[in-house]
Amino acid sequence: MTPEGPSLVELRIPRRCEFVRVARKTAGALAHQLNFTIHDVGDIELAVSEACTNAVEHIRDERCAEILLRLLVEPGQLVMEVIDTGPGFDPGKEVEAATGGEGIGGLGLLVIRELMDEMDVRCDAASGTCVRMVKYRREAAEPRPTK
Amino acid sequence: MTDMSTPLQIKSSREGEDAAVISLVGEVDVANTAQVREAALRLLADGVKRLVVDLSATEYMDSAGLGTLVGLLKRLKESGGTMAIAGPQPRVARLFQITGLNQILTLCVDVATALKEVSA
Repeated sequence: MTPEGPSLVELRIPRRCEFVRVARKTAGALAHQLNFTIHDVGDIELAVSEACTNAVEHIRDERCAEILLRLLVEPGQLVMEVIDTGPGFDPGKEVEAATGGEGIGGLGLLVIRELMDEMDVRCDAASGTCVRMVKYRREAAEPRPTK
Repeated sequence: MTDMSTPLQIKSSREGEDAAVISLVGEVDVANTAQVREAALRLLADGVKRLVVDLSATEYMDSAGLGTLVGLLKRLKESGGTMAIAGPQPRVARLFQITGLNQILTLCVDVATALKEVSA
């Protein structure tokens, strides 16, 4: 991939569960093209999937019909943002629910925190919720054969 | 509308009077966990008390799938049953480890071992 500067890929998907895979595969394909390791491509797919699933499952506001996936290619890293216009949620409570045995609704955020090098959740009544994730690039030792 | 479901084949087989193996071939995510749950609940309704979930051909699973497995374990335990997971691929096994669910779910290397585990 050229190192000239940031490049942006954006994908808008309907906020429906069958489109989560589309977001996952898109992020994975880009990460693969950026020569992330197979291991890290898997992490990126999983993290994006978890963030999108969270947006699909935890937003009850029907006015939020879309999820925006932003993939920003920066030197040495891939920044991923999953943005919805829902009312937001308390990420602290979500993780607490995941780890407190009261259900597993917040497990997705727990998984993202484990897999990503950076992660934060911004909730805003006006603009909705943005899950921002960053994965640093550790180049594959050997170039992967192309299919 | 065209079927856009995440590709997953669910196979099940009875192993004796009250045991069964359910195999998930493909990818498990939020789009098809309901199918997994329904298939497993049909087995439970049919008298299965000892369930092995074969993940050896599960290429992808996320926390939605994990939630389904935990829910099944809960249902089985409530009725005096038991469940084991067989042969998860490294990618899926890692997910169990990250979430700590490897402490709650019984993970086995293959179906034969898992069947012994649920029969013990």
